[in-house]
Amino acid sequence: MSLKPGFARALTITVAAAAVVLVLDGVIHLLMAQTPFGGPRPGAAEPQVGGIVGWLLSKQSEFYREMSATIRAAKSDGSAVWTLLAISFAYGIFHAAGPGHGKAVISSYLVANQETARRGIVLSFASALMQSLVAVVIVGICAWLLNATAKTMCGAEKAIEIASYGLIAAFGARLVWTKGGGFMRALQASPPVPALALAAHHDQAGPGHDHDHHGHQHRHDDHGHDHDHVDDEHCGHSHGPVPSELAGPGGWRRGLSAIFAVGVRPCSGAILVLVFALAQGMFWAGIAATFVMGLGTAITVATIAVIAVSAKDLARRLSAGREGGGALIMRGVEFGAAGLVLLFGVGLLFGYIAAERVTCL
Amino acid sequence: MLMRRLLDLLLLVGVLALGANAAQAHPHVWITAASELIYAPDGSVTGVRHAWTFDDMFSTYALQGIETRTKGVYSREELSSLAQTNVESLKEFAYFTFAKADGRKEKFQEPVDYFLEYKDDALTLHFTLPLKTPVKPRQLALEVFDPTYFIDFKLADKDPVRLVGAPAACEMKFQRPNDGTANAQRLGEQNFMSGDNSNYGAMFANKITVDCP
Repeated sequence: MSLKPGFARALTITVAAAAVVLVLDGVIHLLMAQTPFGGPRPGAAEPQVGGIVGWLLSKQSEFYREMSATIRAAKSDGSAVWTLLAISFAYGIFHAAGPGHGKAVISSYLVANQETARRGIVLSFASALMQSLVAVVIVGICAWLLNATAKTMCGAEKAIEIASYGLIAAFGARLVWTKGGGFMRALQASPPVPALALAAHHDQAGPGHDHDHHGHQHRHDDHGHDHDHVDDEHCGHSHGPVPSELAGPGGWRRGLSAIFAVGVRPCSGAILVLVFALAQGMFWAGIAATFVMGLGTAITVATIAVIAVSAKDLARRLSAGREGGGALIMRGVEFGAAGLVLLFGVGLLFGYIAAERVTCL
Repeated sequence: MLMRRLLDLLLLVGVLALGANAAQAHPHVWITAASELIYAPDGSVTGVRHAWTFDDMFSTYALQGIETRTKGVYSREELSSLAQTNVESLKEFAYFTFAKADGRKEKFQEPVDYFLEYKDDALTLHFTLPLKTPVKPRQLALEVFDPTYFIDFKLADKDPVRLVGAPAACEMKFQRPNDGTANAQRLGEQNFMSGDNSNYGAMFANKITVDCP
């Protein structure tokens, strides 16, 4: 079986998602061109880089730059608040398609942890909501209550950012630890395949061997239900996740730690907007804009998360036909995804992945 | 075969996650810069003098919590501690100013003569970066940009770069990041997928060259 159809399908989904974003953008433009959302829009800046990526970048810059003028306008003209909310929503959608914002971490976590698409959506919305909340709380306490300087605020932001990256790394390490076990057991349980011959142990020769069978029993006793699960797949009875893995004890708790690790880091853009709004005496408008921005972010992150989960389901179906190998592939994918979470955490922490680091001037 | 498929799948996950992640930052801060290259009487370059005007959102953000006698009016003295913070923070980013004398990287000393000005809702940071050692190259190349593109640098429309006290024969060329001549580093989707975004902002560099025969 070749993977080509899988890629074609994934590609189709991606293209469809891009199309949705495009249509959405068109609608927003139409809306903004009309009067309820204020006067004529200023001429768009020439895109500086080519392609879809450059276009995305120029779009979000445009939306972001319009925010300050719109907040100023809202001071005297209440209807400008609607423009502000529309811009914030669009900005959230586009911005999340770019760097960070946990989309990579959330997607990898979902793939690693046998999560459903529905849970992916819940996680995306929850972490975006938390991001917005953290931004509002930081500015609310530092700027509004304590009248602290930008330096203090930015320092707090930076500390939280490092904490968030550390949490992601720790979270990833834990996933790697659990998923690594599943992968190793799948490796040992799978029948020798030419490509894997080097990795397979000699005493793993073939099914039906007395010695080997004994070994199996022994491991079964040691490792409990996980091993049972792998065994099931080995025998070709069940290829789906066992229910206990989906929402078993600790399942939601682990989901919560994912939300926390990702969501605790606020968006620098939101903080700037909030402080600006506060200085204009429009703090409430800034808060509203922050939450609408979070809503837009959540939609994009959820879309990407659903694509990731679908891709994995597809992989599961593609590999289901194979005996033994299917389990190995799926455990391998999960292990790899767990590794990605760890890599993101470490990479972000040490600055290998420059995901919009807080720059304090 | 099996391993290949496994790798393919991992790649798919990776592209989904990393690929999207690589589509890096968009600027949060906009700076309109005016820069001066300062020459000694003997024709050697001694340093760079910058005047950076921040956008109104960042200016407001930076002024948060700064005490002032008259609301909305900030004197140079009232802004002095902020200016100090600014230049100290800029050190970590090498002042976003990168100089090469005949292809060799030059280093700067800590900024001198720095102060902030507040006018028309915008803060302007003035500072001078002395070169560690004055140089007298045939070609001096100066770039102003943020490698992470958190800050967008635009050189002013009027007098973006001035040579102060340069020998008459020196010729200055200035290239804006988006005037179409920066094609060499024009970005394709390909660069993004490669995941190497460490110097992403270089595409948005303002390039100044001065040739002195």
